[in-house]
Amino acid sequence: MTRDVIVVGAGGGGPVVAKELAARGLDVLLLEGGARHGDPRREWTHLENDANNPLTGFLRFGPPDRREPAWLREEPQNSFLLQAAGVGGTTLHYFGNSPRAYPGVFHGYDGADRAMYDTAHAFPFAYRDLVPYYRWVEATLPVQTAAMGVKETVFLSGAEKLGIPVQTAKDTTGWSYRPQENAILQPGGTAGRTGDPAELQHPRATGCTFCGYCLQGCMEPPGAPRNLYAKRSTDNSYVPMALTAAAWSPHGRDVTLLADAYVTRVHTGHRDGRLTATGVTWRTGATGETHREDARVVVLAGGATETPRLWLNSGLPNPNGWVGRGYTDHFLDGVTGLFDHDTGNSRGPNSAARCDFPGHGALENIGLPPAMQAYSMALSDSGIRGRYRNGRGFTGPWDGPTGRVIGPELKEVLAHGIDRLLNVLILTGDDVEAHNRVTQSVLPPDSHGPVPKVVFRSRERTRRTQANREFLARKATELLRRAGARRVYRFDWAPLLLHVHSTMRMGLSADDSVLDADARSRWIDHLYIADNSALANSLGGPNPTLTTQALATRTAEKIFARHFGGDPWVGHETPVPSTDPRVSAAL
Amino acid sequence: MPDPLPLNPPLPLNPPPPTEPPPPPDPPRRDRRALLGAAGLATAATVTAAGARPARAAPDPLTAWTLDTMTGLAVFVLPGPDAHSRAQGTPRPDPGGVEAGLPRFLVDALNRYLPVPVVTAYRRAALTALPAPPGAPASLAKDAVPLAPLVALLLNIQALRVDPRTVAGPLPTPFSRLSYAGKAAVFRLLEGPDPALVEALDAHLPEPLKRTASGLLRFLGGALLELAALGGLSEWGVFDPTTRRLTGRPVGWRLSGYVPAAEGRPEFRGYYQGRREVTG
Repeated sequence: MTRDVIVVGAGGGGPVVAKELAARGLDVLLLEGGARHGDPRREWTHLENDANNPLTGFLRFGPPDRREPAWLREEPQNSFLLQAAGVGGTTLHYFGNSPRAYPGVFHGYDGADRAMYDTAHAFPFAYRDLVPYYRWVEATLPVQTAAMGVKETVFLSGAEKLGIPVQTAKDTTGWSYRPQENAILQPGGTAGRTGDPAELQHPRATGCTFCGYCLQGCMEPPGAPRNLYAKRSTDNSYVPMALTAAAWSPHGRDVTLLADAYVTRVHTGHRDGRLTATGVTWRTGATGETHREDARVVVLAGGATETPRLWLNSGLPNPNGWVGRGYTDHFLDGVTGLFDHDTGNSRGPNSAARCDFPGHGALENIGLPPAMQAYSMALSDSGIRGRYRNGRGFTGPWDGPTGRVIGPELKEVLAHGIDRLLNVLILTGDDVEAHNRVTQSVLPPDSHGPVPKVVFRSRERTRRTQANREFLARKATELLRRAGARRVYRFDWAPLLLHVHSTMRMGLSADDSVLDADARSRWIDHLYIADNSALANSLGGPNPTLTTQALATRTAEKIFARHFGGDPWVGHETPVPSTDPRVSAAL
Repeated sequence: MPDPLPLNPPLPLNPPPPTEPPPPPDPPRRDRRALLGAAGLATAATVTAAGARPARAAPDPLTAWTLDTMTGLAVFVLPGPDAHSRAQGTPRPDPGGVEAGLPRFLVDALNRYLPVPVVTAYRRAALTALPAPPGAPASLAKDAVPLAPLVALLLNIQALRVDPRTVAGPLPTPFSRLSYAGKAAVFRLLEGPDPALVEALDAHLPEPLKRTASGLLRFLGGALLELAALGGLSEWGVFDPTTRRLTGRPVGWRLSGYVPAAEGRPEFRGYYQGRREVTG
């Protein structure tokens, strides 16, 4: 049997391609290595360890059977690769933050601050070319202006005093602050207005209930159809649309979704003298059986670590050596303020306010419950505060040197009250660097082949990347102090690989990119990539999911036009929102 | 009913920045057998290898030795009113890592980390003196190799390097006998000087071997502390996996004053400047 398209990975990007091509009537097979997560109200809880433990949690990176070990990755440095397997991928635990990229990271940008960006690794097309696809995705998810909780009022009170304007447009063209544009449905009815679960049943409550559990997967409000859960992770948006395409699209054909199906090999052959992708083999975790199917087009979307791993394990060409290279991660850092009043840290959607500093990166508030709060304070490349600095221990406007807060100091901070803390996440505009990469590990293979080795030479990042991070840490500290914090901690996080991009990057030059401007392999016909790894760079700092989804929509159009003789639809049709009642009814 | 703990007194403004202590003295020369013996592992390993079982209801020596070391780590990250916290010199009246079940959490986590298929492949490679071939099918055993005793051994050997006086004391293992500063010195070694020494060799190897050994030490130095923080403040100690419900209020919630939500919260504070949508 030959499918039209096989999509490998049901995370943030794969379901976008699957849904768009299913809407055009193509026969699409969507393969996911992790769990289906088909009935979250039975399978999930709101508990942190149950959800987020990297070895056992239901959102871990591992097989659906939680009795089995998680999938091993090699990290030859102090770092933490925070992946999530299953339908939805890392959107299962994302915060729904959906800003557009900074225009400065695209080809042809001629702003006065041009030199502030990684222009050597720019996107191979202009920003304006992507805007119609942003609009399409923003309408489909949908993306909406975030409602505020207490922590946003505190964050924004500090941001107002930074001397920068409020942003009231989708495009970010200068330093500014604003509520997030989030892929979260705005609260309606009783949502956000009560904590009484009896009052929060859908449809009395619609949209975000302010439960505070974005990180544990969204299944609110109770009683809602899956496509009306508040957070628009792909398990709640694009996947329901893909599975019901025949119900809402005039020419639609439902996608076939297989979970627990880990793709271990991409097959190729020669057509017309050209190396061409022909299909894939996957392994069913529950049985250990392997299966093969062929397709006219193969789309890889396993993520910034798994896609280069699959490429290398399949023995696909890598003539310029850039497969897996150029890994960017926003060089995240955490800054936390202690307040003497309620900050609402643990309540409401986890991040609903931000500041943007194009040319440097961005700040956003992040609310955390106790375990993740403690984790965020124990993650550092600067040793343990007051004990050793590990060669770093930066000083600045924050209090004391950077480093871990553990032991008596951790207890002191937490006993001050989880809801008297406010966290600011630093999203650094980091440069593409060849030495940060995914390669094959020397550790023996698992059931899916050689495991990936994720290498970050964090202390050797470019001067610009390091300067951007320091700039943002100072801005975060200033924001917290102006919001009323009387103590500020900066941690100097070790690489927390959460925003991950550009390991199979598209680019202008064939010397340092894997994909052309259409997200098509430079060396293998009929093979595309539609996850964060396809991004040319780290966008200058903004959260990547929306851009990946916009790019994936564009890639779907390119596939449909080139291989199936179709016409583009973005800009010509009106998108159907994923909340459409026809999707609910068909589910 | 929640039992909130009294909050600590307000923190002082702008406390003096912590200072970095001088590096620990060089460890004394000590042969391997003596080191293992001092760490208590030689006895434990002998018992285990012989298949002997301790008296009913008592953990086997290796398990007890491992758990005690992890208790020393748990209170390093989250001290409380227990004997191990007193031994490291930082007792606290409110519950800590011991009360949160953190030692068992750490043992459990470390014993899950390395899947058996990897070990199986290692064994096969060792037997054939050849590297495991890429893509070779691995064992399907649903198990993992217990890493906790190995990590405990590493911590106890480092403890003896940092402070040879921990060879004996009221607690069962050298790491647990260390002061808080001594435990910090162990992690300083794990994160900095030790991997730097190994890196002098493995940084010059080709991939995929490059920095694998030194990187593992650095990864371990970070992951142990991060996992301890995550587990100690989580619900793990009072989570019943059969019912998937809590049997009590987690220490982390009591300590931090955290109030969970059932399905939502009355937290909505409107839209910034009344704006519900933006242009573009």
